[in-house]
Amino acid sequence: MVPPSIRRITGALVFQLDTPLTLLLLLSLTIFSAILVIPLASLLAKPATGISMDVVRGLLEYPYVAWPPLGEWVISVDRGDHKLVILRFKDMGVIPNTLIIAFSVTVLATLIGVLVAYVSARYEFPGRALLRILSLVPLLYTPFVNAFVAYKIFGDNGILYNAMIWFNLGYALEITYIAGVILAQTMMFWPIVYLNTLAALLQVDPSLEEQAENMGARGFRLFRSVTLPLSLPGVAAGAGLVFIFSMEDLAAPIAFKVDRVVSREIVRAIVGSRDIEALSVEVVILAGLLLVSALLWFIAVKQYVSLRQYAMIVRGGRWKPRVTRPGLPMYIVIYLAVFPLVVFSMLPQLGVLVYAFSGSWLGVLPSGFTLDHFRELLRDPNVISGLRNSVIYSTIAITLIVVISTTIAYVVSRVRVIGVGVLDLLATSPLAIPGLSIALGLVILYSIGPFKGSFLDPFSNPAVLIALAYSVRKGPFTTRAVYAGLQQVHQALEEAGMNMGASRSRVLFTIVLPLIGLNVMAGAIVSFVYCMTEVSTSIVLGALNPAQAPITYVIYEYVTAGYGGGAFIHLAAAIVTLIMVLQVIAITISNYILKFRYAFLGV
Amino acid sequence: MAEVRLEGVSKYFGKFKALDRVSFTVEPGEIFTLLGPSGCGKTTTLRVIAGFEIPEEGRVYIDGVDVTFKKPYERNTAMVFQNYALWPHMTVFDNIAYGLKVRGYSREEIRKRVSWALELLGLKGLENRYPLQLSGGQQQRVALARAIVVEPKVLLFDEPLSNLDARLRIRVREEIVLLQRKLRITAIYVTHDQEEAMSISDRIAVMDRGRIVQIGTPWEVYSNPANIFIATFMGRSNVLEGVVVGREANGLYIVDINGLRVYGTSRESLGEGDRVKVVIRNEDAELLEEDRTSPNVVEGKVVRASLIGFAIQARLLLDNGEIIAIYLKNKTTINEGEKLRIYISPEDVKIYKSLETVEV
Repeated sequence: MVPPSIRRITGALVFQLDTPLTLLLLLSLTIFSAILVIPLASLLAKPATGISMDVVRGLLEYPYVAWPPLGEWVISVDRGDHKLVILRFKDMGVIPNTLIIAFSVTVLATLIGVLVAYVSARYEFPGRALLRILSLVPLLYTPFVNAFVAYKIFGDNGILYNAMIWFNLGYALEITYIAGVILAQTMMFWPIVYLNTLAALLQVDPSLEEQAENMGARGFRLFRSVTLPLSLPGVAAGAGLVFIFSMEDLAAPIAFKVDRVVSREIVRAIVGSRDIEALSVEVVILAGLLLVSALLWFIAVKQYVSLRQYAMIVRGGRWKPRVTRPGLPMYIVIYLAVFPLVVFSMLPQLGVLVYAFSGSWLGVLPSGFTLDHFRELLRDPNVISGLRNSVIYSTIAITLIVVISTTIAYVVSRVRVIGVGVLDLLATSPLAIPGLSIALGLVILYSIGPFKGSFLDPFSNPAVLIALAYSVRKGPFTTRAVYAGLQQVHQALEEAGMNMGASRSRVLFTIVLPLIGLNVMAGAIVSFVYCMTEVSTSIVLGALNPAQAPITYVIYEYVTAGYGGGAFIHLAAAIVTLIMVLQVIAITISNYILKFRYAFLGV
Repeated sequence: MAEVRLEGVSKYFGKFKALDRVSFTVEPGEIFTLLGPSGCGKTTTLRVIAGFEIPEEGRVYIDGVDVTFKKPYERNTAMVFQNYALWPHMTVFDNIAYGLKVRGYSREEIRKRVSWALELLGLKGLENRYPLQLSGGQQQRVALARAIVVEPKVLLFDEPLSNLDARLRIRVREEIVLLQRKLRITAIYVTHDQEEAMSISDRIAVMDRGRIVQIGTPWEVYSNPANIFIATFMGRSNVLEGVVVGREANGLYIVDINGLRVYGTSRESLGEGDRVKVVIRNEDAELLEEDRTSPNVVEGKVVRASLIGFAIQARLLLDNGEIIAIYLKNKTTINEGEKLRIYISPEDVKIYKSLETVEV
C-alpha cells in the first residue's frame, strides 16, 4: 500500500508536470540515486558487516588517535651563526589531526575573509578594484602544485628560511608538517569566505546600517551589532565550505609530508588495491566520518542561513552600496595588512608560473626561463591521454549537467509540491559532500554483486563512474546559474504560455530556455572547468586504472614523483598553468554573461 | 459564448484560506467583475478559473464542462496579465501567433488571424517590434490581441490597467468594453478599483476575505450595499456610530448619534437599543441655502475645505462633536470657519448592525 501522502505528492507532481518533464525528472533522480545517495548509503552501511570491538578499539589507538601526541610542537636548533625555529605541531593521530587542521583553517580563513570582504565592501580607497581582482587569484584552482609551492616557500630549507639567513637576522623560520598544512590551506581557502561574505555585504540594504548610525552606533559597534549579523549567512556558508574542503584536501598534507590525515588514509588504501576485499573497515569508517561531519556542517549552515532570510526581505529596488572613506587607522590596516595578506595568498599561483616557465628551481631563485615544459607536454603520452580522458569525461558530464540542472532548477522553482525542498537539497548538496566519500562509496557499491565485472566496475572500467561522478559533483554550479536565471523570468510569462494552450515542456523549450539560455551556458562553462580540475574522485577512481585516469590524476602522479624538485614538478606546473588559463577564460566569459561575480561563489 | 460557473470553491495556501466556498455563475457574453481590496481572493479566483490553482473543494465549469482538474492548457481561456506577460524574446507578431502555433494552425491561417487581431487593436505596423520597444498602452493591446486571437471561451483580465497612467486607463477600459461587446466573449475581470468595476461591468461580485459578499449590477451594488464593508468600499463615505431609538411607520429607523437624531434605512432588521453604524456617502449631502428645520438637516462648521476637482470637499464639525466629510458641487468658495446647513435624504443614510468595516 502506498501511503496517502506519497500518493498525494505524486498526484500533484503528475498534474503540474507533463510526460517529458516527468521523464527528465526521473532521469535526474536516477542519476542522483545511483551516483550519490546509494553509494553514500552503502559507504555508511558497509562497516556494519565488518565492525567489531577490535575495530572500535583500533580506531582509538595509533595511527587513528595518538595520546599523548607524538613529536614536538616547535623545534629550535642552534646552528652557530643563527637559531632555526621550526613550527610544526604534534601528531595526534589521523582523526584529531584532520579535525584540528579543519577547525584551525576555518577560523583563520574566516577572520581573514571577513576582514578583506568588509574592507572591500564598505571602504572607498585607491586600489580597491585592484584588491577585488587580486583576491580572486588564490581561488584559481591549481591542483597539488599550489601546496607544493607553499612548501617550497615555507617548508624545510625553503625560500623563507634562506631569505632570513641571507638577511643575516640571527634566526630563521620554517613552517612544516601540520603547521604548514594549516598555513597552506588558509592561503588557499580564505577567498571562499571572502566571496560569500562580500556577496552578503553587498546585499545588505544600506538603510539598515544608516538607521543604526542614525541611532548613534558607529565604528566597530555598528559592524558588530548590524553589519556582521546581517551578513552572517554569507560568512557561515563560506566557513562551512572551508571546513569541508580542508578535511578533504590532499595537496597540502602531501606537500608538507603529513601522512596521518583522513584524506591521505583513504587515498593510500585505494591506490594500489586490486579489489574491494583489500579495503579495510577502518578506512571505510573514516570516509563515513568525513561524510557525516560534512553533512552535519551542511545542514547546520543551511538551517542557519534559511533562518536568516530576513536580510533580503527589506530591499526595495536597487541601491548604491554604502561606502565610506577610511580613517587613518583603517588606511594603515588596508595597506599594511590587507594588501600584503592578499598578495601573500597569491604566492602559490605565482609559484606555479615560476615552475612552469623556469628550467630549474632548486635554490631560492629559479633559473633559465624556458617554454620547454609546455613543448614537452605535447609529447608526453601520459599528459595527452589524461587530457583526452578529462575532456571526454567533462563533455559527457556537461551534457548530463545541463539536462539535470535545468530540470531540477525548473521543478524546484516552479512546481509547488511538498518534498520539492528535498530535491533542492539533493541538487546543491554535492558541493558540500566530500568527493572522497563519494568515490569510496562508488567503489564499494559498483565492485560487488551484479556490477562486478560489468562496465560499471571501477576496478576494470572507472571511466563511466568518473564521468557520472563529475556530473553530480560539479552540477551545482550550473544549477545555481539556472536558478538565478529563473528568478528573473516572471512566472506570468510561463502562465501566459500555458494559458495559450502550450504544455509545460513546450513552455520550457519555447519560452523559458530561450530566456535563460545564457545562464545555462554560463553555468555549463563553469561546471566544465571544475570538471576538468576535479580531484577527489579523479584520483581515487583513476588510480584503479591509470589508462583511464583524467589529467588531475596525472598531475597528482607527477607532483608526487617530482618531490624534491625534479623535472616532473615543472611539467605538472605547466599543465596547471594551462588549467589556470582555462579558468580565467571561463570565468571571464561567465561573469560577462551573468553580469555579476558569480562563478566563484561558494566554490 | 460560454457560461462559467463556480460551485463552492475553496482554496488554501498552507493554513490560510484564500477562497471560502466561492460560488457564482457568469452568463454567456457578459463582463463579470471580481472586485475587492488586495488579498480578498479575487486574483486567486481568476487563477482557479484559468487552471493555475487547483481548489481543495468545489467545482469549476466552463461551458457546462467540469474543468476543475483540467490543466491550464486544456481550458481554452485567455488571460490578460497584470504585467501583460509578453515574451521579451518574441516579436509582437510571434507573441500574438504563439497560441495559434500551439493549436497547429497553418502558416497562412496564422498570418490571416494575427493580421485581423493587429487591425482590430490598431497595432498594424508594429508586428516586427519587440515588447520592450513598445509603450505601456501598446503592450497592453498586444496582450489583448494575443488573448482574443485564439478565440477563447473566456477572457480573463487580471487588473490589466493597473500599470497604465490614469488618463490612459480610462481610455483603454472603454476600448476593452467596446471590443468585448463586438466579440461577445464571456469576460471575467479582476480589479480593486470600484470606479473601474462600475464603469465596465455588466455585473460585479464583491469579495472580502475569500468570500463573495454581494453580486449584482453596478447600480445595485452601489446603491444598495449588502453590508458595511461594501458600503465603505464603494465610494467615499463617513461611518458614524449610534444607537437605534425608534422606527417609523414607513420603515425608516431613527438613530441617535451622540445626541444627533437621523432617519435612515437598513437592509437588516433592527431593534431599539441596537448599537449600529451609520454610513453616509460624501456626495449625498445637499447644501441648504435657506433656513429650514426638518429631520436629517444638520448644521456644522467648516474645519477644512479642499478642492478635489469636480467639487469641494468640506470637513464639517457637527454640533454633536462628530466630523463628517461632504462634497459640495455648486459652490465656488467655502471659507474655513463658515457655518453650513446640509440635508441628507433618509434613503442615503444606510444603517448596519454588523460591525465589519474596511479601511480604504
